[in-house]
Amino acid sequence: MLYRTAGQFKTSYVADHALFPVRQDAWLLAFILLLAFVVFPMTASEFAFRALLIPVLIYALAALGLNILTGYAGQLSLGTAAFMGVGAYACYKMTTVFPGMNLLLAIGLSGFFSAAVGVAFGLPSLRIKGFYLAIATLAAQFFLVWLFEKWAWLYNYNASGAIQVTNIQMFGITVAGPQANAIVQYYFVLGVVCLVTFFAINITRGRIGRMWKAVRDMDIAAELVGINLMKAKLSAFAVSSYIVGIAGALFVFLWRGAAEPVLFDIPLSFRVLFIAIIGGLGSILGNYLGAILIVALPVIISTLPAALGLPIPSAMVEHLNTMIIGALIIAFLIIEPHGLARFWAIIREKLIMWPFPH
Amino acid sequence: MKTLSRLGLLSAAVAMGALAGLPALAEDSVNVTNLSYRTGPFAATGTPVMNGQRDYMLMLNERDGGVNGVKIVYDECETGYNTEKGAECYEKTKGSSIVTQPWSTGITLQVLPKSNVDKIPILAPGYGFSPMAEGKTFTWAFNPPTTYWDGASMILQNIADGNLDSLKGKKIVLLHLDAPFGKEPIPLMQAYAEKHGFTLLPIPVGLKEMQNQSAQWLQIRRERPDFVVMWGWGAMNAGALTEAAKTKFPMDKFVGIWWSGSDADLKTVGDAGKGYRSISWSFPVSDSKVMQDIKTHVIDKGKSLSAPGEFDYVFYQRGVVISMFAVEAIKAAQAHFDTKVVTPEQLRWGFENLKLDDAYLAEIGFTGMVPPFSTSCANHAGHSGGWMLQWDGAKFVKSSDLLKADEAMIEPLAIAEAKKYAEANAPWPTNEECKM
Repeated sequence: MLYRTAGQFKTSYVADHALFPVRQDAWLLAFILLLAFVVFPMTASEFAFRALLIPVLIYALAALGLNILTGYAGQLSLGTAAFMGVGAYACYKMTTVFPGMNLLLAIGLSGFFSAAVGVAFGLPSLRIKGFYLAIATLAAQFFLVWLFEKWAWLYNYNASGAIQVTNIQMFGITVAGPQANAIVQYYFVLGVVCLVTFFAINITRGRIGRMWKAVRDMDIAAELVGINLMKAKLSAFAVSSYIVGIAGALFVFLWRGAAEPVLFDIPLSFRVLFIAIIGGLGSILGNYLGAILIVALPVIISTLPAALGLPIPSAMVEHLNTMIIGALIIAFLIIEPHGLARFWAIIREKLIMWPFPH
Repeated sequence: MKTLSRLGLLSAAVAMGALAGLPALAEDSVNVTNLSYRTGPFAATGTPVMNGQRDYMLMLNERDGGVNGVKIVYDECETGYNTEKGAECYEKTKGSSIVTQPWSTGITLQVLPKSNVDKIPILAPGYGFSPMAEGKTFTWAFNPPTTYWDGASMILQNIADGNLDSLKGKKIVLLHLDAPFGKEPIPLMQAYAEKHGFTLLPIPVGLKEMQNQSAQWLQIRRERPDFVVMWGWGAMNAGALTEAAKTKFPMDKFVGIWWSGSDADLKTVGDAGKGYRSISWSFPVSDSKVMQDIKTHVIDKGKSLSAPGEFDYVFYQRGVVISMFAVEAIKAAQAHFDTKVVTPEQLRWGFENLKLDDAYLAEIGFTGMVPPFSTSCANHAGHSGGWMLQWDGAKFVKSSDLLKADEAMIEPLAIAEAKKYAEANAPWPTNEECKM
């Protein structure tokens, strides 16, 4: 009923290949953007900004970066957190060496550092694939975290070995650091995430994206039809690491405010990988759905007992939380192994048919 | 339609009731939330401290009906020692709690810059960033009764028998957790090493290597140090103690910071741990008045979460002492501002004006459990000093008189570090009213 496509005729190839073949999709997106840009900022509390909205966006962005590499180009990576760290440390060095630098510019540039590192660690992908490549990216993970710990220049020789974000202003408004307003930070993150998502959608639908998908589905066949494997794989590593690096810089500067090297260790890599897998490999929407499930849901569950007035000790809530999220992940993967994005696609198809299935 | 409107009315009435009910509750209670960690890799050492903190608050509510008639609401927000969860808990509780107890150096580092903005005092007893003691710079942070740097200074004095020059030519290994907490004593100990001519060799233990420290202890065996000083926490303590026992390292040459002196860790090595020392700013006195009151009002009534036997532990009773700091600050603020329910700003004044001398400690039943100290607007730690405790195979006993840190050595370094922090985080508001 809501998704009825009756009366929407496609009379040209351009219309058939449009981003939104069904008009309701465009409305849905407009509605979500309206929520994100207008409704949430007007209604959300500071806790909601800092614990729900901002982290979901940043994790979704990191998963989007990984999804380009793993979901679109088929190169398994376990080094996401380390590449996030490269972005964060690059941004930290830039903002401390050039104190007046525009933060948006610094974040944009820091992505290039992680892209360069990503390409360097992507070189083995030309010779090895699958699990063997995963091991090579795991090496990046261990090496880079070790480097963040040992190379004192990176954290400006702080005694604690941690990096701390100072108050950074942009056009007279504090956007990062302890004095920054949550709503300002939210809009900053939302703006960056929307921009990157827009590019990601277009790049994956175009020539480069098709090249990646061909390599993912069968690299020998792709090579035979004339795709340069080296170019395809390394460009996937570069674009993916660039996005992941930006996500890392946002992670520390717009959300955490401080970071120790151990933050970028393997649990973070796995967390991002889970978001990408549960959301759906090879989709853009999936990253957001996955981030909502993995990042936001535990926070919501942990606030429930207090909101309902149930006297459950907080340690017990944590245990319950782990169990509930674990059960949900297994349930979703059994219902739809291709992830939440595919789940939504099935629902959407059914809605288009409803109430008259053939 | 009718049922719908009735439902609406009902829910509105419930909402009104809830709204009306809340302020009545809040009027005569203060909320003290603890960012606890009863889960995760550090739960074994964290839980006794949390239990002690909780039980003291429960005891006051039971025995006196709170503090001067104001009930204490002791809440916990579980962090699992995870910095991300800690920051989330901070955001969740900052509206209700009058004090932040971050409970990890990582979380402290996250919360510290926000304390100036949100204006909630941080209570980090015996942990966090050592220069936080400089009250003029760190207006909102408190680390009574003593700092990590004080601890390092006291340990060195004790192993040198009071004469640091006797350490000349000796070799001291600092076995530390490779995290901000473990790196905390390095600058001070390096300064000491240069001044008194001993060699300092820091050996880091990564978070992943905590349980298996064979590589580190192989290095220690090769280096043959005169002393090993440990800055460990959680699973790292038990790991180090078992390795030391296995490699037959002489326990009387092995000294830990106060977080490395957990009864539970030493019970695992038992007799083999005999002679191990740990500096401490608290000491368990199970027959003191306050502990007996906790026993009658909380434990015997079955309200405590503590395990059997935990009552006599150093860590459990340290938790009691920590809660006492918060309560004394509330009392001081109540008296000074002539109010019942203190605000975070008033509590900050209370923390700055703690006066815990021997007579007062005896009055509240804490004789011998914590050294006397007082804080001021310039001195947020109090620098109480501490005792060296020694494991006798079954429990910790005092093996020294009250040790005092060498403030002449520490203060210039702390002031310089505080200044560096303030400059790096500019604009950083300092306490200009403090003229001390």
